[in-house]
Amino acid sequence: MKVLVPIKRVIDYNVKVRVRSDGTGVETANVKMSMNPFDEIAVEEAVRQKEAGVVSEIVVVSCGTTACQETLRTALAIGADRAILVDTAVELQPLAVAKLLRAVVDREQPRLVILGKQAIDDDCNQTGQMLAALLGWPQATFASKLVVEAESALVTREVDGGLETIRVGLPAVITTDLRLNEPRYVTLPNIMKAKKKTLDPVTPDALGVDVTPRLKTLRVDEPPKRKAGAKVPDAQTLADKLKNEAKVVQ
Amino acid sequence: MNELLGQLRKCLGPEHVLTDASSMAPYVTDWRRRYQAKPLAVVRPGSTAEVSALVRACASARVAMVPQGGNTGLCGGATADRSGHQVVVSLTRMNRVRAVDTKNDTMTVEAGCVLHDLQQVAASSNRLFPLSLASQGSCVIGGNLSTNAGGTGVLRYGNTRELTLGLEVVLASGEVLDALRGLRKDNTGYDLKHLFIGAEGTLGIITAAVLKLFPLPTAQCTAIVACDTPQQAVDLLELARARAGASLTAFELFSALCLELVLKHYPGCTPPFAGAGMPVAAGRDSHALASLHPQYVLLELSDSSPQSVLQGHIEQILAAALEAGLIRDAVIAASEAQRAALWALRENVSEAQAHEGRNIKHDISVPTSAIARFITQTDATLERAFPGARRVTFGHLGDGNLHYNLAAPIGVEPAQFESRLDEVNALVHDSVLQFGGSISAEHGIGQLKRDELPRYKSAIELSTMRSIKRALDPLGLMNPGKLFAD
Repeated sequence: MKVLVPIKRVIDYNVKVRVRSDGTGVETANVKMSMNPFDEIAVEEAVRQKEAGVVSEIVVVSCGTTACQETLRTALAIGADRAILVDTAVELQPLAVAKLLRAVVDREQPRLVILGKQAIDDDCNQTGQMLAALLGWPQATFASKLVVEAESALVTREVDGGLETIRVGLPAVITTDLRLNEPRYVTLPNIMKAKKKTLDPVTPDALGVDVTPRLKTLRVDEPPKRKAGAKVPDAQTLADKLKNEAKVVQ
Repeated sequence: MNELLGQLRKCLGPEHVLTDASSMAPYVTDWRRRYQAKPLAVVRPGSTAEVSALVRACASARVAMVPQGGNTGLCGGATADRSGHQVVVSLTRMNRVRAVDTKNDTMTVEAGCVLHDLQQVAASSNRLFPLSLASQGSCVIGGNLSTNAGGTGVLRYGNTRELTLGLEVVLASGEVLDALRGLRKDNTGYDLKHLFIGAEGTLGIITAAVLKLFPLPTAQCTAIVACDTPQQAVDLLELARARAGASLTAFELFSALCLELVLKHYPGCTPPFAGAGMPVAAGRDSHALASLHPQYVLLELSDSSPQSVLQGHIEQILAAALEAGLIRDAVIAASEAQRAALWALRENVSEAQAHEGRNIKHDISVPTSAIARFITQTDATLERAFPGARRVTFGHLGDGNLHYNLAAPIGVEPAQFESRLDEVNALVHDSVLQFGGSISAEHGIGQLKRDELPRYKSAIELSTMRSIKRALDPLGLMNPGKLFAD
């Protein structure tokens, strides 16, 4: 079974994000970039399915600038078999990415697409769902457990009330949640092997997709700074202040 | 005594002169719970002027003073005796950053600043203050200076001594020696600051310092590699130094047992390597897989070049090491989260061994070229004398510094093993001496190693130290009983 895993290059989770002074976006120059952590979980899951003998080939795809090659190489080092870079400098929004991925799915014909439930930079949580709709495939989002069978997949989802288990017919789109697995470290021998694996570039034009942004960002602002707190000498003063100053209790 | 206490209350305010047992409790037991003090009082000065005043008061009453920082020292250097006549001087209220000068790359800080806070202060000015050690969340810079603390950044940036440009010290007379100069060149006679750094408070009380700052690296690459022997780790160090030069910022060795203990006591930690050819069972149930390799090295490159360049660099170094047969395997962090997780495996060793019960610790250094032979020979001698003793060996290999710690054999009570402390110490330290090493690389002498020092330091070195002590502290009131017996 062939699996397609779309991955996104984002500002590293542990980096403190700064807004550009002109308010046009966040600072990305000289900032540590890594694979979106949810996508890393998706790659790990695909590799585990391959190690368990369920999956035969893993193709990773990333849409963005040539720098995304580094992220693809990391995925290859985790254990993906080959990579596709949809090479574009245009700002990509979820619908454009979903359309690009649909075109890649048409070419590659995977039985399963596994991707992160959202990217930690824009937090859109849309691409997987849009892709499923465009393909007309079933979707299982927020997966915390995945059992792949011949014609269907059993997916445990994290929902508000607890865990929900659903069965979806294949082919399907599955988006990953945090607790699905813990990604491994990449080993040196696998990093060296990854350098020899195929990485094919392709353009949005070649895929026949118009990626022109449809949403316009007006402004990006820092969240308001938290005001300094104050110490009170005793509980009585605290109760008094809550009642009469903050007016949060009656 | 009551007269002195009254005077101290007048100088510092009554709320900063603690005399009842419960409020003194945080200041009377050392970090490793080896020493229990019974001081006359704990005083908490808030300024250099107050330190000066209290030193004058104590001096005229002939009462000894024990300076204390974060109370995280490992040799009992900041713990008073049980006479009820010593005053503990806690510097933690003196925690102001007096200046940050990014053009001069220095910061002027008071002795009670917590190390981690200083790292943050530097980072907020886009600078690095490279001193970094396990207790950085609690230890304060005054203690770091007094013990000339080392840690994980020494390989590239040097120990606390090498990070210090100037000092302000209250002398035993109460006079303030103001040498808070931010100069990298200053050849005007004896460099007095060096007397007080590493003196463990026996010559005066450090109240402030000018510290060096460095450019904040923009990229860091961290790897853990597996080796068969310490000798291979030393060979890898040589190779990495030759190829990476100044960008090699960490080179830490830890044994399979260290990793096992970390994974046992910190279930959130993930083993770096999975079983060969097995599916990666990363997570809680898999620490049985951990001890596949006898030795591990954490190495890190830091630089101002782009991340991808540094990544390429570390891959080349490790590939060369793999080819040369120096390493068995390596993992490289792919994200900052993984980088933190790899560091946690090394940094949690100190605490993990504590969860196993008290052990016998050695903070030793030998020339890096002799480390492998030291480990092999000392391991063998120990095994003959104390069969089954578990060797929790880890440390800053790049500095020749090992924490050669020994836990009780399985099935033996830690207390029973600890009762043979002196024999074990003598065996290990004699071996250190044989290889031209030091019995205290970065922790100091304090009271713990005081009586051992004469065996490992020459009579002339010791008498020179005593001459300095007598000249600067003629009444013997500055932290007596530490470094030398009274």
